Amino acid sequence: MTPANNFIEIDGLTKNYRETGRPVTIFDNLSLSVKRGELLVLLGRSGSGKSTLLNLLGGIDRPDSGRIVIDGIELTSLSEHRRTLFRRHHIGFVFQSYQLIPTLTVMDNLLLPLELIQPTGKAGRNKAAELLNNLDLSDRLDTYPDRLSGGEQQRVAIARALIHDPLLVLADEPTGNLDLQTGQQVMSLLDKLVRQSGKTLILATHSREVMGIADRILTIRDHSLIETDD
Amino acid sequence: MNTILNRAGRNFLLRHPWQLALALLGITLGVAVVIAIDLALDSALQSFKQVEQTVSGKATHRIAGGEGGLDEALYRKLRVEHGIRNLAPVLQTYLPIQQNPKIKLRVIGIDPFAENAFRSGWQSGQDGAQAAIRLVAEANTAIIGRQTAEALGLSIGDELIVATGTGDRRLRIVDLIAPASAVAAEALSNIVIADISTVQEITGWFGRLSHIDVIIPETDPHKVQARLADILPGDVSLVSIATQFESMQQMTEAFSINLSAMGLLSLLVGMFLIYNTMTFLVLQRRGLIGNLRLIGVTRRQISRMILTEALILAAIGTMLGIGLGLLLGQVMLQPVTATVDTLYFRVDRLSLSVSPLQIGKAVLLGIGATLLAVIPPLREANRFSPKHALTRSQLESGSRRLSRSILLLGILLIAAGFAIGFLSETSIKLGLASVFLLLFGFALLTPATTLAVMSCVETLSGRLFGILGKLPPRMVGAEISRTGVAIAALMIAVAATIGMNLMIDSFRVTVAQWLNTTLQADLYVSIAGDKTARDKAVKDRQLKAIIAELAEVDQVSTVLHTQVVADDMPVKVSAFELTEASKNGFVFKQAFDTGLWRAFEEQETVIVTEPYAYHNKVKAGDTIALQTAKGLQDFKILGIYYDYSGDRGRLAMSRTQYLRYWPDLGYTGIGVYGVAGSDLNVLESRLRDRLPQALDLKSSRAIFDASMQVFNETFLITETLRWLAAGIAFVGVFGSLMALQFERTRQLGILRAIGMTPGQLTGLICAETGLMGLTAGLIAIPVGLLVAYVLIYIVYLRSFGWTMTFHLNPTMLIQGLLLAVFAALLAGILPAYRMARTRPAEALRAE
Ligand SMILES: Nc1ncnc2c1ncn2[C@@H]1O[C@H](COP(=O)(O)OP(=O)(O)O)[C@@H](O)[C@H]1O
Ligand SMILES: [Mg+2]
Repeated sequence: MTPANNFIEIDGLTKNYRETGRPVTIFDNLSLSVKRGELLVLLGRSGSGKSTLLNLLGGIDRPDSGRIVIDGIELTSLSEHRRTLFRRHHIGFVFQSYQLIPTLTVMDNLLLPLELIQPTGKAGRNKAAELLNNLDLSDRLDTYPDRLSGGEQQRVAIARALIHDPLLVLADEPTGNLDLQTGQQVMSLLDKLVRQSGKTLILATHSREVMGIADRILTIRDHSLIETDD
Repeated sequence: MNTILNRAGRNFLLRHPWQLALALLGITLGVAVVIAIDLALDSALQSFKQVEQTVSGKATHRIAGGEGGLDEALYRKLRVEHGIRNLAPVLQTYLPIQQNPKIKLRVIGIDPFAENAFRSGWQSGQDGAQAAIRLVAEANTAIIGRQTAEALGLSIGDELIVATGTGDRRLRIVDLIAPASAVAAEALSNIVIADISTVQEITGWFGRLSHIDVIIPETDPHKVQARLADILPGDVSLVSIATQFESMQQMTEAFSINLSAMGLLSLLVGMFLIYNTMTFLVLQRRGLIGNLRLIGVTRRQISRMILTEALILAAIGTMLGIGLGLLLGQVMLQPVTATVDTLYFRVDRLSLSVSPLQIGKAVLLGIGATLLAVIPPLREANRFSPKHALTRSQLESGSRRLSRSILLLGILLIAAGFAIGFLSETSIKLGLASVFLLLFGFALLTPATTLAVMSCVETLSGRLFGILGKLPPRMVGAEISRTGVAIAALMIAVAATIGMNLMIDSFRVTVAQWLNTTLQADLYVSIAGDKTARDKAVKDRQLKAIIAELAEVDQVSTVLHTQVVADDMPVKVSAFELTEASKNGFVFKQAFDTGLWRAFEEQETVIVTEPYAYHNKVKAGDTIALQTAKGLQDFKILGIYYDYSGDRGRLAMSRTQYLRYWPDLGYTGIGVYGVAGSDLNVLESRLRDRLPQALDLKSSRAIFDASMQVFNETFLITETLRWLAAGIAFVGVFGSLMALQFERTRQLGILRAIGMTPGQLTGLICAETGLMGLTAGLIAIPVGLLVAYVLIYIVYLRSFGWTMTFHLNPTMLIQGLLLAVFAALLAGILPAYRMARTRPAEALRAE
């Protein structure tokens, strides 16, 4: 079995959905281990369960059985409250459709995860400004998300996922709503920033173009994971 | 095509049962309250009418005197000397019976042989002749309705024991009336019919009549009327029964309008629920509608789909509303009738009567209100372009644009409200219209005000709590098209509550002050009993002498409340024997003139109550012509005094003047003033020793309490209705918060995903709803004050002619504010709980 010093351990994971009474199996006894700082690409057809797996890893959904251990903490045995706190400190999400808070400015969208951890003053603002600068968004601090283009929104979302220095970043088809060129731009930024800070990234996609940046590629097929060598 | 469209719509509707139920509830409750009030009010009047018609049959007119009744000789004179036909003498009274002391039977004495032409209800379906003969031929006989007999456990041959002023009397039942129709049977309940001489005998009112019913043939009414007018003495009037009913209706008009307004308030708030649901359904379907338009469905077809839904909702809601309204009407009948009974006229019977007209009205109201409420969402739906379904933020910016025109409309309505309120002179309906315009106008200002309040709150809370603090006011402001409507509805309900509370409180304080001033005597003896009794005046004078002789008694004042006639209509009059102290009990509207009381005693003068002056449009210095036995006599009005004992008003004159023109009917009440420093309790027990048991002796304190009790009971219905309206508003706020949180499920999901705990989410939603309640409450305070002002100085003044002093009770304002905040918080709890429980992954999948 995998050594205990792995960053992520998934063990015997089972997940079913109940669609109009009849259970639909998504994962059946799935196992996976990920090392710290790894960049993992998750492939699979639409509907294969990529989002579900990321959601389970991020603790915003619960499996029917099995264990998920991240950095030595068994996520699956935590209470809802503790799981939320874990997510708050250690996880960053990037979604396909950006999912920024429409009523907050770009700056406030970034500060929200920080302030959930603890009140931040100037330090937080500086950090956010610096991050946005890296993402080429320094002139959009006080703009509301719906005034931004898709690429800009997704860059803000990336900044939000990274601002609190999470251990693990989960990106669910982050380029899915973007055109090819913008997508590549966003992807290389994400790659750069994650690698710079040594965070672990799991990225779900169904486009094979992003595979180049991956340390490892996994494909979901028939309710379990298959390791793909390039 | 249309069926497929409708199916697409319906499937969607059925997925949101909550919203559907709330919309139905809105229509149902609104319609129910309106119809219930209508039914209860109308039934009270109809009951009165039916009983009268059943008793007097085909009579068209009535010859009546004051409360002393008529001399029997008049009847003989009309019949024998003048040969006038179709007259029916009546002597009636209310007497308690031993079999059931709780009810009083109406004992009606008639001339059974004179009655044939009248075909009164009691004769229908009977072997009338047989019963009539027995009533006349056998002493102390009576007939009663079968229902009443059964209720009392009596049958033919049994005796009815009635308690009269001269002791218990027995009436043998010789026949039971079994009217053909159910209506007549109802109307005859609690009525006893006997020969007139029997009633005269048991009451001791020999030679007296209450009134004479007349049938004036339609062929030549004026000739007969003119002839009768010539013969009748001046203080006896000939009134058409139709006119009498009309004036009854007028009497209760103000009361009816005010109650109906409460019903409309409920419907208005109910409309908000419908609006809310329809808007929710349209917004939720903007994707579906956009797609339909894309594949070629026209705007008209979309409109038809939404209208069909609305009409189905309206039809079901109205039907349920009518059903509930019938039940509610039954419940309200008792308190409504009780109020009519205390304030206006005696209602003997309680039963709900429903007419197709009323049902029709309810149907129109239910459907009309729904259609009105569906107009804005309908327009919204037609704005969705086929190219792309609008996003939420685009919609919001559209509604921000809309809010400028709404602001203008609001200002316009408020201006109209003020104009109508102050420029319309006496109309109660226009006064109430002004209240509604003001409420609605300010409701339209609510969204703009809310945005302003939210930006203030945000500055403050942002400084205190950072981004988390900014979120709640931002969330309220961002979706102002939804939150604004909820806040407006809550504001209307709370402002109406504050306004009514302040009005009732001012009224209560005014009445209490007035009672304190007017109740000058230490003790009051009230002398009940029918004024028809012949020796009443003598007995009353003896009673007064006994009281005055007591060593503890300093002075006594007396009053006789009765009726005289002006313009062939009865007018309430009080004849006073005043002491110096009791004169202080009158507070005049104009500056007090020292010569007033002298003129009051010595000349043909009256003072009138404020409602009298208001309704009859008279002022000090005018004269009133009263009908007396000697013909018309002018009385000069010396002044107008405050009086809150009745809303139709009365005249007051000195007893000396009264006795110059009208017969002595004894006293209605005697005021007793103890010698200075005497112990009231001793005085009271001394009086009790000396006075007959049956007399009612009360301290001014007890009268004060009893009066306030009556006051509170009178406002019971109003208060109940107000809570009902507030309840509907609450359901509305609840529904719109549910819808609101449902719509932003995904946004709340993100917040959870980035680390907000369920507790924090609950806090966030509660802070948001609390802010909404706070805003509603803050706006409701000035609006409520304004409503109170209009109610007091316009609506109530016009309705009843009373001037009240505005009593600003700050507790009522704070109560209103708390009510708004608590209602909003309460309405927010369930949505908050649901959202906190939803798994973030689930929430993120939401559209
Ligand atoms: N909450 C849910 N209820 C029922 N079925 C779900 C739910 N979430 C996802 N599914 C189903 O599970 C399958 C996997 O979904 P998802 O993880 O979103 O796939 P992917 O992200 O790979 O496209 C899909 O068939 C989807 O319909
Ligand atoms: Mg997915």
